[in-house]
Formats: sequence, structure tokens, C-alpha cells
Amino acid sequence: MTSKASNMTTESRRQSSLWVPQTVVIRKITPEVENVSTYHLAFTDKDAAARYRFKPGQFNMLYLPGVGESAISISGDTQSHATLDHTIRSAGNVTRGLTQLKPGDTLGLRGPFGSSWPMEQCVGRDVLLVTGGIGLPPLRPVIYQLLNGREDYGNLHLLYGARSPGGLLHRNEFDDWQSRGLTIQKTVDRSSLGWRGNVGVVTLLLERLHSFDPSNTVLFCCGPEVMMRFVARTAFDRGMTAEQIWVSTERNMQCAVGLCGHCQLGPQFICKDGPVFRYDQIAPLLTVEGL
Amino acid sequence: MTDQEIQNVLQELRFSSGLSQEDLQKLASISELVELPASTVIFSEGDSATDLYVLLGGRVELCMNVPAKGCLPVLTLGAGDLLGWSPALKIAEMTATATTIKETPAVRFSADELQKLCEEDHDVGYEVMRRIAIALSQRLVATRLQVLDVFADPVTEGQS
Amino acid sequence: MNLTEDGLPETPKQEVFVSRDGFASLFAVLKSRGFQIVGPTIDQDAIVYDQIETVDDLPKGWTDVQQPGLYRLNQRNDDKLFGYNVGPHSWKKYLFPPSVALSQSRKTEDGWEFQEAPDDPPKLAFLGVRACELAAIRIQDRVFVGGDYVDSTYQKRRQRVLIIAVNCTQAAETCFCTSMDTGPRCTVGFDLALTELDEGFLIEASTSEGKAIVEQLVTHEATRQQQQSAELARQHAVDQIKKRMDTTEIRDLLMSNLEHARWDEVASRCLSCTNCTMVCPTCFCSSVDEVSDLAGENVERRRQWDSCFNLEFSYMNGGIVRDSTRSRYRQWMTHKLATWIDQFGTSGCVGCGRCISWCPVGIDLTEEVAAIRKDVS
Repeated sequence: MTSKASNMTTESRRQSSLWVPQTVVIRKITPEVENVSTYHLAFTDKDAAARYRFKPGQFNMLYLPGVGESAISISGDTQSHATLDHTIRSAGNVTRGLTQLKPGDTLGLRGPFGSSWPMEQCVGRDVLLVTGGIGLPPLRPVIYQLLNGREDYGNLHLLYGARSPGGLLHRNEFDDWQSRGLTIQKTVDRSSLGWRGNVGVVTLLLERLHSFDPSNTVLFCCGPEVMMRFVARTAFDRGMTAEQIWVSTERNMQCAVGLCGHCQLGPQFICKDGPVFRYDQIAPLLTVEGL
Repeated sequence: MTDQEIQNVLQELRFSSGLSQEDLQKLASISELVELPASTVIFSEGDSATDLYVLLGGRVELCMNVPAKGCLPVLTLGAGDLLGWSPALKIAEMTATATTIKETPAVRFSADELQKLCEEDHDVGYEVMRRIAIALSQRLVATRLQVLDVFADPVTEGQS
Repeated sequence: MNLTEDGLPETPKQEVFVSRDGFASLFAVLKSRGFQIVGPTIDQDAIVYDQIETVDDLPKGWTDVQQPGLYRLNQRNDDKLFGYNVGPHSWKKYLFPPSVALSQSRKTEDGWEFQEAPDDPPKLAFLGVRACELAAIRIQDRVFVGGDYVDSTYQKRRQRVLIIAVNCTQAAETCFCTSMDTGPRCTVGFDLALTELDEGFLIEASTSEGKAIVEQLVTHEATRQQQQSAELARQHAVDQIKKRMDTTEIRDLLMSNLEHARWDEVASRCLSCTNCTMVCPTCFCSSVDEVSDLAGENVERRRQWDSCFNLEFSYMNGGIVRDSTRSRYRQWMTHKLATWIDQFGTSGCVGCGRCISWCPVGIDLTEEVAAIRKDVS
């Protein structure tokens, strides 16, 4: 089962206001690919910085006063407390507003929220991380945790797809990750000049993957829902079951605490029952159109 | 490479595993194991090529000719994938150009002999066609996912 | 409930009698104890909940007539103060206000500073809470203060409120509380519960605050005859309920029929107008809006009621997940009657019938459930 959000003690969670953000300052902005940048944020309050802990897969609500909030997965190393990394694609009002900010500017942060990738399920097993495009940042904390404790895990594979070669994120880290024991395969939907790598959807990489034991593997998948459904199908073809697969879902989020009703998918509140779900628990809901 | 060795290879492949020993023998007798060198064109779009391959490893790129843009890659194939199915279905011309990117070991079937085998022995023919159909259906789903363009940025690249 | 030979409950309530005049003095007593009183009063041809000052503000001698898509007031031939059922308002407008400030942001030299919005709500006395509404408050308690995250706006108001319930002595055509096991008798969740008789009220006190209030009124021991009249009056409400909803395995019934043709049928009538969610006493969906000064340096975040029937409610990534009335109606009904059970352990519906009366096209969710049930069995 996924680990539910449990960073604060019950008392402190009940007492502090759910709605008051902490002030964070932008220490650095790293442009990644077109329209995508990573914002490295730090709490201005030392106590808030010292208290803050997150688990892989959780998200923060980043707040631009006057514009609104946006739910962004936390993308960095859970053990590193210097800054909190958020990789953001400029899409709506809030994320577009963020592109107007510079290092030194402040904004609000509420979090962490949501369920997390079940890292304890990885111990002693092969781990497949299957993702595409902007789905890699939510899995990056998983990669750091796996590589920081490499000996606890079996074969580690990252299967990563993108629309085109320009859409592959964090390529500058791939060599380091590979040297530490993560096998990385990349593919693109459409090729461009000079690309000598794989062309085709990321499910094909899973179809062809051989160096893992389907009976002793967990698969974490993050990306568009269509992709996740077909990754799961391919995983079943390869002999895995729905109980071995976890996915990260998304819906319109406002309160992030299961009280505003927006993020519901059937009985699940994506913000607090998810966003990470074991596949068997969410699969029937993903196939109903407009649920 | 003896027929028996080829038969063992075929037994392990998803394409041919599950066939009876007898059928595997028949397939082995019309196939050979090859090592396709890197950066080699196996067939070109429009060719009436005559061989069907099941890849055992390596990487092959399929590209299609688009005027003024060149041969655009549409798919790469690797271990377990079917290559060159058109002749097996008596489709005259190849629909893409296939180029090896790395050294690629493969099982090669003569399309003519495969057709002949299937016509003479409909049981084997049924199994072979069924497996080609399955492989193509998986390729079709994958192609649809490419068409859906799921990684497009919904704001700048989306279709809505 | 087991009744004795003369029609009284075997475990009789601890009720005392207060005359009509005595009841009128309740208002002064409540005010002296620091409560603002909110209760039923007539406004624009409907019985709504609003701040009331004296007994004269109550809808004396009025009753409501309710049917799918219809709500009217008629005059009674008596002077009953609570001779009606429920109107378009519910008590959620006080516990879960339609618009409330959540936080404030201020731009300083060192950047943004954030703080809680000041919130000091008055002590309210709810006068005239029906059994279905007590159930609705319990349901919203579970949503807002009963889970991992506690809503402090609701909690503050809930802790300060005094609840004076009223046992229904009649039922509207749209009532179906008996099917949802929420009424019409008031059993728990109140400080005081009243049953109206011709000559006055029987009052039951359930908390120490309730008892203290009763002590400030002029009361008499309830006679046996008064107790019988009260029981008969309460039973009258039960007998008048005609509408039923079969809730047998309703969760699985609805969740296994998400593609049933009935959803298309009801969608052809539904206007997606959000009335049902506004009048429903348990609906809790909300949105957050920014309210900024001209310079953009002082910003307030406000929570407003929202509705799953609003088109943009499910907006995500450049598109709308629930893009059709069909999909939105299905969301509302399956949440209210089915997935609410998964989330909170009970149905979200209390059988008050408001959504039926206030739907402009008279959609009746009990009929929708029945239609699906009939078709699949």
C-alpha cells in the first residue's frame, strides 16, 4: 500500500491552519527544456526549513498571491535540505506567473501533501521506473533514494520517453545515474536530426526489456494517463500483476487536503488518497470516460 | 549453425515459442541465424524485399521518405521484434527503409519459403499468421500512442 | 421504537412543558447567554434561515407545499410556529459559510508574508433544526473535522453553536428521511429538542447548556396527555412520508452502472444549474479565489461555495474532465449516494428532499435510483 501523508504529528496537523503558506525564496532557476524550468526554493524561516520533510511522490502547493496556487511535485533528494526542487512546465496562470519571477523573489508554499511512492516495496527487488516527459521529476526523488542505498535493491531500470529529443529532462544527470547502477533507456515519439536513439513509445522499451525478474519487480509509472494504462498492459504481458505497479495520477487540485472536492476520481481524493496509487486500486476508475 | 541450434533459438523467441517441436523444426529448416552489421541498409522503402526477420538484439531504425525532409525515423526495433513482414503477407513493396544502428543478430526467413510452407501446411500457416497478426497489433497500438502525442505540452502543442 | 399501551415510548423522554408565552421568552434567555439567534423566517415567499430577534419573526401559521420543481407557502388554519419542513437554506450557510477569508498575504521589503485571516465568528443559536438537518450536520462534521485534516473555520463555528432541534409534526411530499434513517424524530446531536403542541411545547434537554437554558424558562412537568399528544404529533410526520428510496446495496448498484443509459436520460433534462448543490445540506465543494488590492501587495484568499455542476470545476491541463452534463450529473449523484460511503462511512444524503423541490425541471434522485435498479434487476 502507498504510504499516506504523515509528515506532521496528528496534533500539529490538526492545530495549524491548513491554508497559511510558508514564505519561500527562489535561490536558483534552472532552465530545463522549452517551457520547463526547475525552481530551487528555500524557506526564509529557519524553523520551517528545519522541520520540513517530504517523501518521494509528494507535492507542494506553490502560491503566487493574487494569481493562485499550483500543485507541483517535489523533485529533489529527500535527504538534501538546502533547497526544494520543483520542475515546472509553464501551462496555466500560476505556472506562467512563475516564469516572471527571478532568483531572490518570494512566493508561498504549503505542503507536503499526498501519498508517496512505496520505497519499502523496492527492497530486495528489481525496480522499473517508466515515465515520459514531465513525468520524470516526480520520480527523481525515487532515483536518488534508490541510488543512495544501491545495495538494497536489485536491477534498476529507467525507461524514459519524450515527444522529441528536446523533451528529455535531466539528461545531464544520466551519466552519473548510470555509473551508480541505474540502467537508462530513452525513446522519443518523433525523431529529430542527429538522434540515433530509440524511436517509438516507451511501452516498447518495456516490451523488450529482459534484465529483470517479473515475479520480483515493482514498477513505478508516472505520465499521461493513456501512457500509464498501456504501460500497465505491457507489464501484464510481461508477467507482472497490478499489485506490483504504482502510478501517480493528477486532477484539478485546490485545497490539497481533501476538503474542496475538486480532485475526486470516484471515491478517491487524488490530493490525499493519492496521487500515488497501487494500480489495482485505481485502474477501474481510469477507464471510465469523464468520471 | 545447425537446424537444431536454430530450433532452440526459435523456442525461446516470443514470436515462435509455444509451437510444437515439429513446427519449430519446419521453421528452423527454412531459416538461418545472421549477424547484421551496424549501419547497414537491410531493405529500402519500395523494395520488393524477400526476407522476414525476427531480431534477437541490436537496434534497427525504420524510416520513411518525406520529400524535402529526407528519410524520417518512425520507429526503432530491438530484441524480439518482427522486421519485414510485408512479403510474408504477399505485400509487394516494403513500406519503410530499415537500417541497422548497431550490430543486430537475427533469425532470417526466406519469405518465399515461408509462404510455401504455410500454403502446404495450413496448421503451421495458421500459427505463423496468428503470430504475425499479434505482433502487428502490438505495433499498431504503439503507433496509435505515438499519434496521440501524449507528451505534447497541452498549452503550446496540444490539440484542444 | 417500542410504545406502551397509551402510545408513549417505553423509555419516555425527559420532557417538560413550556407555554407559548414561555417559549417566547426563550429569545431573551438566549440573547442573555450571548447567542445570536438564527432560525426560520419568511423572505421572498420562502421560509429561509436568517437572524431572528423575537418569536414574531417565526413563520407563524404558515406551511410549505413541495413537489419536484415546486415550492409554495400556504397559510395554515392554526398558529403553529414550526408547521412546515425545510426550505432552500440549510444550516451549512453558517457552519460552512458561502464566502470566508482563509489567509492574508502582504508584500514587504523582505518578500511575501502570510498569516491566517482573522476569524471570530459570533456564538449562534440554531433554532428549528430538523432531524434530517441534525444528520446533515453530523455528516459535515465528519467531512470537516473528522478526518486527517481539520477545517478550522468550520470547527470554530461548530464549537460555538447551540442547537435547538424541532421534531417534525408533518412531512412534505418531497421528504424521504425515513429511507435514509435520519428522521423524522430528533434523537441525538442537539442541546434542546422541541415538539410543538397546540398550547405550547414539550422540551427535551440533552446537554448541560440545554438544561441551563430550560432552567431559565418557566416550565411545568409534562402531563401524560401532553406527552401522548407530542408522540402522536411526531408519529404524524412519520405517517405522512410517502416518498421512498431503496438504498439496498446502493453503492454497488450505482458504481457498477456508470455507463447506464439512464445517465443520458437524466442529462437530457438536467440544466446543470447547480441548484441542487446549493440547497443540499451536505454538499461541501468549494473554490479558492484571490482578492487583491490595486497594488497587488495585499491579497486575501477567500473560499467560496462551488459546485461539481460548474463546467470548470474539473478543469485540468487545458481541458475539462467532466465535459458533459451527463458526466457531471453522474458525478453528483454517485458521490452523494455511493462514493460518499467509501469516503466517510455513511451516505451523503439525508432525505431532506430539497434537491427535488428546488430542481427547476423537477429531477427526483429517488426516481433516478429506482430507474437504474429496476432496469438491472
